[in-house]
Amino acid sequence: MSPPLWAEPIEALAPRLRAKALSPVELTRACLDRVAQLDARLLSFICLAPDAIEQARRAEAEIARGDWRGPLHGVPLGVKDNYLTADMPTTAGTTAPGIAFPRRDSAAVARLRRAGAVLIGKTRTHEFAWGNVTPPVRNPWALDRVPSGSSGGSGAAVAAGLCAAAMGSDTGGSIRMPAAACGVVGLKATFGRVSRDGIVPHSWSLDHAGPLTRTVGDAALMLGTLAGYDPADPACRDEPVPDYTAALGRPIAGLRIGVCRNHFFEDNQEDVERAVEAAIHDLAGQGGTVVDFTIPNLAYGLAAIFAIELASSTAYHDVSLRAGRVRHYTPDVRQLVELGRFVTGPDYLKAEQVRAVLMEDFRRALDRVDVIVGPTTPITAWKVGEWTARIGDRDESVLAASWRFTFPYNLTGLPAVSIPCGFDRQGLPIGLQIAGRPFDEATVLQVAHAYERTHEWKERAPAL
Amino acid sequence: MSEPEPLDLARDVLGVELPPERLAENLAAFARILEEIRKLRALDLTDIHPSIVFDPTAPYRREPRA
Repeated sequence: MSPPLWAEPIEALAPRLRAKALSPVELTRACLDRVAQLDARLLSFICLAPDAIEQARRAEAEIARGDWRGPLHGVPLGVKDNYLTADMPTTAGTTAPGIAFPRRDSAAVARLRRAGAVLIGKTRTHEFAWGNVTPPVRNPWALDRVPSGSSGGSGAAVAAGLCAAAMGSDTGGSIRMPAAACGVVGLKATFGRVSRDGIVPHSWSLDHAGPLTRTVGDAALMLGTLAGYDPADPACRDEPVPDYTAALGRPIAGLRIGVCRNHFFEDNQEDVERAVEAAIHDLAGQGGTVVDFTIPNLAYGLAAIFAIELASSTAYHDVSLRAGRVRHYTPDVRQLVELGRFVTGPDYLKAEQVRAVLMEDFRRALDRVDVIVGPTTPITAWKVGEWTARIGDRDESVLAASWRFTFPYNLTGLPAVSIPCGFDRQGLPIGLQIAGRPFDEATVLQVAHAYERTHEWKERAPAL
Repeated sequence: MSEPEPLDLARDVLGVELPPERLAENLAAFARILEEIRKLRALDLTDIHPSIVFDPTAPYRREPRA
């Protein structure tokens, strides 16, 4: 028996759409039905596109007359609510009065539309993408748990089959953390690979755009559409865009699989550590050569990202701070925005110096290895309203723990993907993070795919 | 004209426009972050160029290379 439409990855849907064996209208209706059936409990979408079916009809007509635009043509997608969209309002998760965003398409959304995707709605974000729980969204694997964040709406929506994939943004881990917590794939490409034009800024030198998908192949397809130069984003680089699907399926024998044994393996929940070590063992079993190393300067990474993120966020929200609008932000976000004032100019620049040191340390490591693997997060999804998680024999702040392994790749700008690598004893997904050299997303995806295809994690769906 | 109190001056220097009780609350919240930032302050990074590069050609970026 074939799986229901909502459970199919884009890589399976696209050939059927192209061959006219599947109607984009039928597929979009299946997703919208699923939203109607489940999203009152998940709360992953903040708004739905009123013209979703009309978009699907247009895609159907184009495909029918032979104008197939590519693998996203007619595919229903969600877009995080900090991406500007011409046809839907953008709130960036805030209800503070006096804050409004333009009605225009962000660069990534424009690319998705040109590729013929059906944008069915906007997914919820933690306010201004500043946080890791995404209220009020619930985790499809356990409705009393958070989907993590800040792209928690996208993670929950993709995991529950409400859309085939969704866009997220990632400043300290906000694509990869919800991907890990919700059991889906989350790809943060190299800084400069995907334009951030039209995404509500959080921290200019840390923000990345990218997709959350059901499979690694889908992430490759999405990146193929999203990647490319855009002069409107000062950080965007004019680098060639390869066919990211070309490396999928290639054997990894001979590749050097790096494992950074400090920082990433110091404080993990037991089930997380066990699943990740098993994944490393599996990659070795496929012929990868495991190379252990350490990067002691990671001890300064948290200070660096705190200084850069807080100062940048405060600068972005300066007008709202002075106008008193931050009074209407949620208390946690308001406080973070206010705290940036305490980061001094020299603190900020020393953080940027540490960043340069870490970039050099990772370059040296990546001279010796092809990818770096480890856990995406040290903990699995925690209960709504809980602020600590048990790690070993102590409780740790979930806010501190959740981004510990993801932020190094925001500081260094290196590409990193989170893929499912098992479940803990409570049935909650665990994420494996794979990072690589700048603009070498192809190798990162090759290794991720090599792991994914030899496991059945992607076949599992939450019981909703 | 009386001299400003040192604490008021410090608030002015930092651009913090918060009532004292809110300021105290935020300073308490910042304590954990400050613990980390102290590590930065203790480092000798004199010879490291920060990862910020001024690019005078940035305003001229328009179209991708052919």
